[in-house]
Amino acid sequence: MCEDTAPPTGDASREPGARPRRAAVRRHMVEQPLAGTRVVELGGGIGGGAASKSFADFGADVIAVEPPGGGELRRQPPFPGDRPHPDHGAFHLAFATGKRSLVLDLDTPSGREVLTRLFRTAELVLGELPPAEVPRLRALIDPRSGPATVWLTPHGLDGPYASRREVDLSLMAWSTRMQRQGLPGREPLRRGPQAALVQAGHTAGAIGLAAWRARRREGLRQDVDVACVEAVLGNVDTAFVNWAFTGVERLYARPAPGQAPVTGTFRCGDGYVILGLTEPWGARLCRFLGTAAPGEAGYDWPETARRLHDYLASHTKRETFDELQAAGVMCAPVLDVSEILEDPQALARGSFATVEQPGVGAVHVAGAPFRLGGVGSEEDAGWRARPSPRLGEHTDEILEELGYTTGERQALARAGVAAGA
Amino acid sequence: MANRALAGLRVVEMTEAWVGPVCASMMGDLGADVVKVESYPRHSMTRPVAPRAATMPGEGPVYERDALHHQGNRNKRNVALDVRTPGGAEVLRRLVSGADLFLEGYSAGKLEQLGFGWEQLRALNPRLVMISLAGWGSAGPYVGRSALGSALDASSGYMAVRGHPDGPFEDVTPTVHSDATGSQTLFFAALTALELRDLAGKGLFVDLSQWEGLVWQFPGLLGEWELNRRLPPRTGNAEPTVVPHGLYPAAGEDEWVALVARDDREWAALASALGHPEWAQEGHEWATVPGRLRRREAVDRALAAATRRRPGDELADAVQQAGAVGARVVHSAQIAESSQLRARGWIETISHRWTGPVAMGGFLWRIEPDAPAWERPTALVGEHNDEVLGELGFSPAEVEELREAGALGDHYQ
Repeated sequence: MCEDTAPPTGDASREPGARPRRAAVRRHMVEQPLAGTRVVELGGGIGGGAASKSFADFGADVIAVEPPGGGELRRQPPFPGDRPHPDHGAFHLAFATGKRSLVLDLDTPSGREVLTRLFRTAELVLGELPPAEVPRLRALIDPRSGPATVWLTPHGLDGPYASRREVDLSLMAWSTRMQRQGLPGREPLRRGPQAALVQAGHTAGAIGLAAWRARRREGLRQDVDVACVEAVLGNVDTAFVNWAFTGVERLYARPAPGQAPVTGTFRCGDGYVILGLTEPWGARLCRFLGTAAPGEAGYDWPETARRLHDYLASHTKRETFDELQAAGVMCAPVLDVSEILEDPQALARGSFATVEQPGVGAVHVAGAPFRLGGVGSEEDAGWRARPSPRLGEHTDEILEELGYTTGERQALARAGVAAGA
Repeated sequence: MANRALAGLRVVEMTEAWVGPVCASMMGDLGADVVKVESYPRHSMTRPVAPRAATMPGEGPVYERDALHHQGNRNKRNVALDVRTPGGAEVLRRLVSGADLFLEGYSAGKLEQLGFGWEQLRALNPRLVMISLAGWGSAGPYVGRSALGSALDASSGYMAVRGHPDGPFEDVTPTVHSDATGSQTLFFAALTALELRDLAGKGLFVDLSQWEGLVWQFPGLLGEWELNRRLPPRTGNAEPTVVPHGLYPAAGEDEWVALVARDDREWAALASALGHPEWAQEGHEWATVPGRLRRREAVDRALAAATRRRPGDELADAVQQAGAVGARVVHSAQIAESSQLRARGWIETISHRWTGPVAMGGFLWRIEPDAPAWERPTALVGEHNDEVLGELGFSPAEVEELREAGALGDHYQ
């Protein structure tokens, strides 16, 4: 574990202003797997932010090109003290870790000239933009030697719906997932906030890494069109393939009276647990409770459910989790976000990182999404969450890197094309 | 020509359900040589031998007609091995010896018992990248605990915020969101690990906890606690700072349309599409962001009254035309008929020996040049036993011996 992935160590570390625990200095010497790569993220959105996050955390130089005033990622609540601030929102603090911020007005020829120079230094462009803006920006890229490109849009770059506006909720409406979360007679339900948009962004990041690799190794420049609707609908957890196979739409899946649910949500002594009741887990639960298992003489789900109810009433969710898993039953506690920070597995693995964020203080963010070399290995330290940038924090330094003179940088700032922090 | 972005990459996938299989299919889509190792004689979770709700009616083996299996297994070859037999173990050893990437979905420690732990495999192939996908990871106190996507949903903080705010929590259904997103995490993990392998000149093990692969996706929830020491509430389809933001009834039974106006311009567009331009006229109490926020329930009621007699498609078209967010809550039949998805050629009819021609959703992305193709529909169990074993240096007689010894097979009982 490196400095930035030190786990919470109890209440002290969670006080505002608490310092993250320091680990050995040698961790900082570990080469990050994507070091030396430049990625340009365009649009300032949540999907693009999700797409490029892991590039930055694994060492790439990710430059977020943001519109004046910042994009949706910086406007998304929550904020500390409920006071909106472009540098303090939870989505920005989580998804912009380690990126550099360049504020550019791409509606001007001057802004596009800067972008043209930036593209020449990049290996990958991840853009979340309205489709109408893509051709103009794509034209700035050298089709042979330029960076690989991934464009993330609601419906893709062409087709009759290409210009439609969608947000997370309407993407979910397109997903065929909503009815299964709802109750008969009431409106269907989304997943958690921004789940579909983040999933689509995550998909764009994954294919972006493949496109980057193909360019670097094979000299193949790929141009990728990720439609949020297709990225969500084409993955698993869709009703569509099931329907194509069977002609039956899966809606409002509820168990018939007297029958066990596939997965059930149950109240226990101090909250809720979920139990998987398909086989082999259903039979193991019956054995644990001393009732006949499915397929055996005397199997009676209502009787098993009564005994389960009695058992759960006298056990906490943690006790239930430990005891039923020991009996081989697929079971888990329903945890809230304060509890996940204290979860024994998360603590043991260092699943959360502490970032010292200027203007905010020490904040926990989710740690590495996977552990290169295994938890705590030297390679695992190749993932690092660094603070998220202030809006325009790196504008001047990046313009200088791109060869703009002091006078030119001042002129760009004065014209409102490039804005510093 | 199919896409060649990952040409030359040799992948052995020994995983079940969705995370590993979908990732391996994505790699196959991009030109990697993917061999799926299925368990034999025990059938995979997604290959039930008795019909269930996801089984396509028809002739032939039930385990070749399961929708859940076909969702995540295109563009790979298939061998079915009993790796507990000496012969099956030898086949797997040879496969892994020549692979770049070995994806395994067994519970932690299981493969070690079978002789295929990381220490054992790195000795066979020093350049191997091996990724384990245990739900809670392969280190820590939860090692050995079983986890479906629902367990990760429940224990990640994600389930606690779902459902109708006024309903009992027992009515909240766990999702399998970790399955839908874990394949992308795994894909990113694999390519990152391969970079590191090439930098360091030696292979490595990757511990992918699907729980850790899930929790980074909800910064708004963790942020409520971290920044304000509040637990995020259950909000249904509402957003605390956007009105309107919800589902509204459309004409017909169980028909719904999602409508959102993020600012005054979108609100004016929405009001006009619903035939009430006056709602957005200056002076109207709903014309402003604070006004709508204060009168959320009244706005929602008025919208519902305006939508309930109009068909969902027509509403979504009118609202989008005017410049606001509108989408019908679609069923699968509407996906099949979608003019957008058809125009993009997203739905393809795929022929398979036991399902016949069937409509399948397309790729997660379009890519130019060299669009990916369904070069191989979902392989039959053990379909490539002879071909793959031949490449591994087994003679036809040796393959036959292995078959007779029960080390490999091509059908389930």
